[in-house]
Amino acid sequence: MDTVIDAIFWVFAASAVVTAVLVFVADSMVRAAYWLMASFVAVGGILVILNAQFLGLILILMMAGEMTIMAIFMVMFMMNPAGLNPMLMVHQHRTAILSGVVSFLALATVGLVAEFPNLPAPAASSPIVPLGQELLGRSMLIFESAGVALLAVMIGAIALVSQRGRYGDAEQGSLEPALEPGTNE
Amino acid sequence: MNPAIAIVFTGGSLTIGVYLATVLDSFFAARVARSHEHAGQLLLEPLRNVALFVSQRRTVTERPDRGAWALAPALLTALAAVAFIAVPLSPDLAVADIPVGIVLFGAALVQVMVAVFLHGWSPNSLFSMIGGYRFAALALSMGIPFSLVLITTAIPAESLSVGVIIESQAHLWNVLRQPLGLPIYLLTALGFAFWGPFSHPDATDLAGGTQGETSGAALLTWRTARAAILVSAAAMGSAAFLGGSLGPWIPDWAWSSLKTVLLLAAMIWAGHRMARPRMENVVKLGWLLLLPLALVDVFVSGALALWTP
Repeated sequence: MDTVIDAIFWVFAASAVVTAVLVFVADSMVRAAYWLMASFVAVGGILVILNAQFLGLILILMMAGEMTIMAIFMVMFMMNPAGLNPMLMVHQHRTAILSGVVSFLALATVGLVAEFPNLPAPAASSPIVPLGQELLGRSMLIFESAGVALLAVMIGAIALVSQRGRYGDAEQGSLEPALEPGTNE
Repeated sequence: MNPAIAIVFTGGSLTIGVYLATVLDSFFAARVARSHEHAGQLLLEPLRNVALFVSQRRTVTERPDRGAWALAPALLTALAAVAFIAVPLSPDLAVADIPVGIVLFGAALVQVMVAVFLHGWSPNSLFSMIGGYRFAALALSMGIPFSLVLITTAIPAESLSVGVIIESQAHLWNVLRQPLGLPIYLLTALGFAFWGPFSHPDATDLAGGTQGETSGAALLTWRTARAAILVSAAAMGSAAFLGGSLGPWIPDWAWSSLKTVLLLAAMIWAGHRMARPRMENVVKLGWLLLLPLALVDVFVSGALALWTP
């Protein structure tokens, strides 16, 4: 049984890394978004193996909608007709490579040097109740503030992309023309 | 359940469900149009259509994303199966009655958005791509009320396990305890299966939408998977609102199958009775009517759970 679970872990781990690389190899925003989602689905699978079923499945649940919305917003901002045209997905190569290498080394150092606690969870334990108490107890202020901040960002993003509507600029009211020509104020 | 048996059981149940859905669809189409079809014709029509699709050539567009195009119908089928296994037809016939079964079901249905968007986007064709974008709007408008009314059934059960949710309805079914739940669930489930009044992604006004460029076996898989999503949604509806396998006299799996078919028939019948509204009216329906009603459902059920012992 343990070897099966180990094998499943390595399949998920390998697919998480491979699909994450494909995010940067892809030549389209839609492909990049969905490769990223595939990577998150693999991470969600690892969480399920770790007996954090709720967190793993919620990750998979949230990412489907989020990646679709992200792809649509990217298409709206980039003026790439409907996301069908191929485009380069990597920019600022020097900064990107530098920050990538530095953060990889930092995380790898933590992974190799840090002493991780060896606390196997009891098989029957359910992490849902402590998670709910944490989210709505001690950490409620943090999560609710983050939620309100994200909502503000979303409203701002919508305001930016909907600047020009079907009937002209938002500042001009973006009004529907009257049926009779010349009767619009 | 043994994995091999579980695969055969899931595939078999979904095949029967999809066949029933197709027959019910032709039946209600004929009934609504007041035409008379022979029973034999109704029963054989799905099989004839399968033969027709399988023998059809596959069409190709200019520079499609072949991988995503091939993936979309298979992904939709797999998602319908994952959603289906989250529902135990009876305590003995449970494939994946896990402690967070309702989240597993929700995760599978939300991923439908990925399958439909890719199916519309990958052929590199205008109308099918608009279909994909329509589904993003449709699924986002329907998805939140859908998840809210479904998760509300976990409040009286105090568990996210579908089996425990069924047990919690031993004295009173959720359809009566949460009267707003089932109507909102059925309406939004039609949206997730882009069926009937919510068929915008694959609608005729878009020359077939996301399936407009697909033909042959891929189209057969796509349509089968879409019906399978409806079947899985009906199965979850029967478990979450109609007490699933609870019932006297006949075996428990027969009760849950009967309730599933009943909900399936109700959704397909309603799909034929309602006209397809404009896309912006669907978005308004989701955000301005169904979402507030779903929130009332959550708050009332939460208050009842707090105040009743």
